[in-house]
Amino acid sequence: MVSPLCWGCLTLLRQAPRTILPSPTAVSQAAAFHTSAAIYARVPAPRGRDSAVGYRRSTSANIKKKRKVSERARPPPVGERKALRKRIVLSNPNALEVEGMPELSEETMVDSRLRGTVVGLPVPMLDQLRAVQAFKPKQGWSIFRRPGTVLRRETLEMGRLFENISGEGEDRGVVIKRIISGQRKSGKSVHLLQAMAMGFIKKWVVFTVPEAGELVSATNSYAPLSDENPHLYVQNEATAALLSRTAAANKAVLSKLRVSQHHPTLSAAKPGMTLEDLAKIGVQDPASAWTVFQALWLELTSTSAVPGLEKNFTPRPPILVTVDGLAHWMTHSKYRSAQFEPIHAHDLVFVRHFLSLLKPGQDKPTLPNGGALLYATSTTTNPPSVYSFDVALKQVAARHAGVDPSSPEFPQPEAYSKTDPRVFEALSSPKPTAAKEGMLEHQVLGGVTRDEARGFLEYFARSGLLRETINDELVGEKWTLAGGGVIGELERLGRRVRVAA
Amino acid sequence: MVFILGVNFPERNLVKKALQSFFGIGNDTSARLLARFHIHPTCKVGELANKQVLDLTAALSDMKIENDLRRQILEDIKRLKETGTIRGRRHALGLPVRGQRTRTQIKTAIKLNRIERRL
Repeated sequence: MVSPLCWGCLTLLRQAPRTILPSPTAVSQAAAFHTSAAIYARVPAPRGRDSAVGYRRSTSANIKKKRKVSERARPPPVGERKALRKRIVLSNPNALEVEGMPELSEETMVDSRLRGTVVGLPVPMLDQLRAVQAFKPKQGWSIFRRPGTVLRRETLEMGRLFENISGEGEDRGVVIKRIISGQRKSGKSVHLLQAMAMGFIKKWVVFTVPEAGELVSATNSYAPLSDENPHLYVQNEATAALLSRTAAANKAVLSKLRVSQHHPTLSAAKPGMTLEDLAKIGVQDPASAWTVFQALWLELTSTSAVPGLEKNFTPRPPILVTVDGLAHWMTHSKYRSAQFEPIHAHDLVFVRHFLSLLKPGQDKPTLPNGGALLYATSTTTNPPSVYSFDVALKQVAARHAGVDPSSPEFPQPEAYSKTDPRVFEALSSPKPTAAKEGMLEHQVLGGVTRDEARGFLEYFARSGLLRETINDELVGEKWTLAGGGVIGELERLGRRVRVAA
Repeated sequence: MVFILGVNFPERNLVKKALQSFFGIGNDTSARLLARFHIHPTCKVGELANKQVLDLTAALSDMKIENDLRRQILEDIKRLKETGTIRGRRHALGLPVRGQRTRTQIKTAIKLNRIERRL
């Protein structure tokens, strides 16, 4: 193709348009494409900061999210949220009242005919149970008209033991020691609650540690015990809380017992004052709480008065000690020593005291007036997974079954596994020498039987929660769905509202 | 309100946070200080015993914190410059000191590195 212009004319071409195109000033006068005057055209906005593309800035669309203008509500007052979280509702006025519901009493707690029925907790006792923090917020007490628990095989067996310890037979004054474990929702905490309720019925003194984890999570004040024992630590506020729980819940029992021992370390303890007043000294003055607790423990475990104070002495009742969440105590606590080393939970005197009870007493039983130690593991409080504790529990079971610790059948930790000798030491409780002292046992709570599940579901039906006929088919279905009668799962299935299609 | 090393703290504040408000005390140092005087980590300023407050103040006054520490850091930079080290020169030039590349990403160095460093 031949260009119409020769190469020589290109210079001409470059100049020609300049003459053809109007000058920039002419554009403003003669509108090319529309008829309105160009002077009315919108003045282009000056290129601001946003539109300018900075050095190494991206040129993609910069879409900023509009900031939400939300009115920030004032946070609720201090403590209100926690109070709401820890609130315990024990009654639901919308639930039907179950007619003919038996109450837990001295007779019903051992009546094996009532196995599988739900017994109500006596109303006057609820304050005591609240005081020892037996109820936990996540348990389903709030769906029924009044709190009640199912009498399962383990409960009746425990009731019988309590009856024997308080009774006049040959088992009077026996000490039972148990570590209760089991899978999630298998009713460990409620088992402890039943024990506390039975303890209150039998007029025992009930000590409880409702959250074992709180003692080691470094949320309470701590201090070295004394200059002689720099590696032992006392938690005064936690001890004061324990004393307050104990004094409030056992008021009726403690107010009838009087100080009948010498307490050289505690000048405030006067002979003849009631044990309730003794406990209250520690509540009012947390600095002396641990000394007060020791004095109270000495009083309650005494079998006779010191010479001169016999007139103050009345026989001491059996003691029930329950601890929930034992695994927390089997590892290092979150506290630090002055050298910034982690403090082992067993170096806290509070924990040490309650763990030492698992060991057999030297010349007399750990609880000379009888009683029960029920220490449960917990799955709801995010317990640490302690391998040594798992093995030690197996060892406890083996030792109780009579397996010789030197035999090859005795469970041992795996070779090269990291173990904590203090855990084994704490739970290695040999056969006690005192006749009245039971050996440390390991009790595993499983699911309830079908008969017990039936009684439990009938209770739901009679409370108006489960609108179905309770027959073998339904019970079998629910029992299986609940993983073989795990009671917490049964409760979940029972409370679920069914809508008829 | 509780005075710790001459500073007034509201009672609802955590002791750990109160300590960390001092220049030169961070997470680790404050945790160690708390452990030294047996104060639990969730302790509030209002819960401190009188003796613990005095102990903390005594311990803090022995430590090189706040203006003493600021002065020492500035002196260290000045010394580096005066002895003619590469680190001192880089501080003076407002460039990265520890061998980082300077082609990109040196805004922090431009902002902070200077002889009279702002602390």
